[in-house]
Amino acid sequence: MASTDPFDSSLDLLRRLNPKNTTPNLSSLLSLVPDLTEDLLSSVDQPLLLARCAKSSREYLLCDYNRDGDSYRSPWSNEYTPALTDATFPSERLRKMEIAANQAFDVYRELYYEGGVSSVYFWNLDDGFAGVVLLKKSVSSGPKSTGSWDSIHVFEAIDGPRQCHYKLTSTVILNMVSSDEGLGEMDLSGNMTRQVESDLPVEDTPAGSERDHISNIGKLVEEMELKMRNLLQEVYFGKAKDVVADLRSVSALSQTSRDRAVHQEMITSMSKR
Amino acid sequence: MSSTDAIEIVSNFILDAPPGEVVVTPSSPRRFSSLTHPYKNSFKTYSQELSPAIEKYNKEQLVTTKLTGSSSLVLVSEFNELGDGRFFDVESQSSFAFDHVSQKASNIQSYVFKSQHSGLIKSLLKPLGTHVLEHYPSYPAYGVYPTSSDSTIALLITGARFSPSNYWNGRWRSVYTFDPSTNELSGEIKVDVHYYEDGNVRLLTTNTLEAVEIPGGSAVEVVKMIAKKEKEYQEKLNDAFGQLSEGAFKSLRRQLPITRQKVDWDKIGSYRLGQQVGLFPTHEHS
Repeated sequence: MASTDPFDSSLDLLRRLNPKNTTPNLSSLLSLVPDLTEDLLSSVDQPLLLARCAKSSREYLLCDYNRDGDSYRSPWSNEYTPALTDATFPSERLRKMEIAANQAFDVYRELYYEGGVSSVYFWNLDDGFAGVVLLKKSVSSGPKSTGSWDSIHVFEAIDGPRQCHYKLTSTVILNMVSSDEGLGEMDLSGNMTRQVESDLPVEDTPAGSERDHISNIGKLVEEMELKMRNLLQEVYFGKAKDVVADLRSVSALSQTSRDRAVHQEMITSMSKR
Repeated sequence: MSSTDAIEIVSNFILDAPPGEVVVTPSSPRRFSSLTHPYKNSFKTYSQELSPAIEKYNKEQLVTTKLTGSSSLVLVSEFNELGDGRFFDVESQSSFAFDHVSQKASNIQSYVFKSQHSGLIKSLLKPLGTHVLEHYPSYPAYGVYPTSSDSTIALLITGARFSPSNYWNGRWRSVYTFDPSTNELSGEIKVDVHYYEDGNVRLLTTNTLEAVEIPGGSAVEVVKMIAKKEKEYQEKLNDAFGQLSEGAFKSLRRQLPITRQKVDWDKIGSYRLGQQVGLFPTHEHS
């Protein structure tokens, strides 16, 4: 684990620093190791930014996967802002599937998030295609309690004889801030990442394969988000709370060990009967 | 980029580090040096250039160490700093040199601090010590020192737990100021927890205790108030986890759609978004 490779060191460092500061930290890090710019930008998950598509008036999400230079592509209009010559686009057939995927995940978003914004971007590979499904929602209960959820699901779909091999890497960035007279400031923020691989059937017709890909990716993402929501709940509201109890005990420690001794004595005497 | 700028950037990284995860082992400075290797600093000069940041970090974090011959921990802070890398401890009436990279004490000498409040400071140690040992199960440490102006007294408490094999670490810090001329106690509690298995989750809290009067201003009453305020705060913090879980977290994303069923992806095209999302497959509104 004592790797001195700058890329590994950079990732390790960013995993330790305050996750709220990922964007400025990444920027500082890139000024130290500019050779790693492309690698780090594509490996480090940052909170998603929003933009409004001029043509459709709909909002869309910005990430490294719909970026070309300093321009971003809208999933609704398929246009880059600012306009760009020689920009990267998915193939015509892939774009058709991308449109359908955006519609499908728009429904998914409404069902689970009841608000927020979603965007799906695909790109071609030699032996299949890849893409990212993005979801973002922010809430505030008053000015003093805010939360935001960013889902970044990056996948590869590699063609096989009758099946497709899907590989999904999902990151959820979850930030929650609570501030209140008696409590003071409480910031519980961070991100978690999980991966899954699966072989699923895909019909060998244009319409069928489009329908199956969207269904397969949809199911993988949904299943993954279910797992991750539970994991986040466990870590944020279970583990973090447990660690605080390990740092300081509300009840007196001598009382706790006395109680434990009495309890143990009771168990021992009961088992003797 | 100049090497000065590089040092500044890495110094800021150090100051932001979670408890127990900064430059302590010989291998970790090399982790940083690999980031700035274009500047070809030797390891020795490199760690020297980073030492102000490491020192500042340790004093802010109230990092602890053991003095040879003692079983209890002493802490380092801005309040017990003597300069020249030395710190003092009231309870053991000693001063020590502190190596900020290894976090080890050495060259222990006897030291008697001077303060117009030395009587009160000494009498605060016992009740504070009792309180700390009753409530801080892991790496408990505390200190009572005169502040630089000698008009007030600083009371410090810290507890920490390190579990890197389970990918988490945490620290609790309480820093109080007592003013014997007004009998007012004020202070701040900070909790810092880091969890990093397949992720990076950080809990950072700050609770400010506004000035509260301690009638009589006795050592016992001061510590009683500290204990009371810490208990209240910890209970509020515990409640806050549940409130966030039931409140903000739930309103970000449902566990299941309102249909209480997972999405039927084969029929996703026939869902109609509108007032009754999820009732599928709906016909076009008439």
